[in-house]
Amino acid sequence: MFENFLDSYAHSNGIRNVNTYFKVLFGIVTLIVSLISSSPVIPLIIFMCVSLIIVFKAEIPVKFYLKFLTVPLTFASITFIFMALFFGTGQHIFNLGFLNLSISADGFNRGFLVFSRIMGGFACMAFLGLTTPMTELFKVMENMKFPKILLEISMLMYRYIFVSMDEAVTMYHSQETRLGYSSIKKSYKSMGILIANIFIKTWITGEKSFVAMESRGYNGSIRTMNDLGNIRNVGFKNLSYLILFEVILIYGVYLTSTYKIF
Amino acid sequence: MHIMEGFLPWYWCVFWYALAIPFIAHGVIRMKKITEENPEMKPLLAVSGAFIFIMSSLHVPSVTGSSSHPTGNGLGAVFFGATVISAICVPILIFQALLMAHGGITTLGANDFSMGVVGPFCAVFVWKFGRKIGLGYSAAIFLAAFIGDWMTYVTAATELGMAFPIPTFESAWIKMMIIYSYTQIPISIAESFLTVIIFEYIQKLRPDLLRRLNVIKTEEPSEPPIKVSEVN
Repeated sequence: MFENFLDSYAHSNGIRNVNTYFKVLFGIVTLIVSLISSSPVIPLIIFMCVSLIIVFKAEIPVKFYLKFLTVPLTFASITFIFMALFFGTGQHIFNLGFLNLSISADGFNRGFLVFSRIMGGFACMAFLGLTTPMTELFKVMENMKFPKILLEISMLMYRYIFVSMDEAVTMYHSQETRLGYSSIKKSYKSMGILIANIFIKTWITGEKSFVAMESRGYNGSIRTMNDLGNIRNVGFKNLSYLILFEVILIYGVYLTSTYKIF
Repeated sequence: MHIMEGFLPWYWCVFWYALAIPFIAHGVIRMKKITEENPEMKPLLAVSGAFIFIMSSLHVPSVTGSSSHPTGNGLGAVFFGATVISAICVPILIFQALLMAHGGITTLGANDFSMGVVGPFCAVFVWKFGRKIGLGYSAAIFLAAFIGDWMTYVTAATELGMAFPIPTFESAWIKMMIIYSYTQIPISIAESFLTVIIFEYIQKLRPDLLRRLNVIKTEEPSEPPIKVSEVN
């Protein structure tokens, strides 16, 4: 229920100390290239490349990465099947033999394109989430002139998520040991009480932490150590590698733009 | 219902971003005003965002046999106002995308438009309308949560139908509606029941919180709060 968190990996991985701007630039640009591709080839190549970087360069355990992968993979597969069956016009290439369902070439191609784009996009997002701590991402956003108030609230929110999540897990387990989830009716009641209690408790936490912060000189902004490097410190070599990689990908997008499986 | 990363073609991503940004900007301006007037609201907004995040990661056994999660946007919108939720949904969606592979960065505009704009606005409208025609708190919050959740899914279905108008927009929209909206009705009803339980429980334990948010009126007779000496 609560195990899909990867914050600890973001703080200790193989490329933790690489310039944050470099990582963010790589993630976002690759994401966009994967999105604009009109054939499934390039997104799948991106998925393979970025996954290899995540597993070998960032040293994320393969088991964990595969487990993390199951969510988008399930969703992408369902989408693929759905699109192949219902979103096709044109000639049918395969008849299922029941309910008059059949797969058309058009729908199959479109479904596969969306499937590959989801997987490519997921890999880039996982790269960002697994290699860069959220606070550094906020710092990058701050330098990109995002509204300050929104960033501050996000930062606080990020902290409270983990605080309240711990409390929620404790409460959930204690409810479970008292047979709180033994039937559907009881689970609704328990879940309602649990969520209402979390609301009240998070409210109290918010009030208390405001008092604590104010008594330590909080005047509306949180300062953190800014050691993520500068956009100029990315280095000529890294930058040229990045540009080369993206240019090859974009050229690939151009080359394969008319490629279709059927 | 979050649209996955890479699901929408790029021009639709840009389109939904452009549509969502005015609402987000308005929410940010309002957030700024609220926090300038009384600074203690800043941590409160943050915890309410954390609350919505946790709520959407709690799974409820639903009637259809699958498990669904409450979106929590109806309750949040009634408590804090619709555009504040539009703004607060942005970090929530980023966290969900990066931490749980749920949603995405490029589809953030579309997701924010369905979950942070249409859903909350409809919920607040239903809540105000319901209170005006004299419904009780529980009935009004039930309807608001139901409409807030369901309209979120209707918007998501519309977004998907517009992105893949095959063979025509209408037929694609009907297909998407069947999959995303009609199956969502029992889940929405379940969430609405849950929201009523939450609301009544908060009303019973800490009615002062709801009064401070102007959700329930001060002059209305309510039972004295049950003393909770040590809540943590």
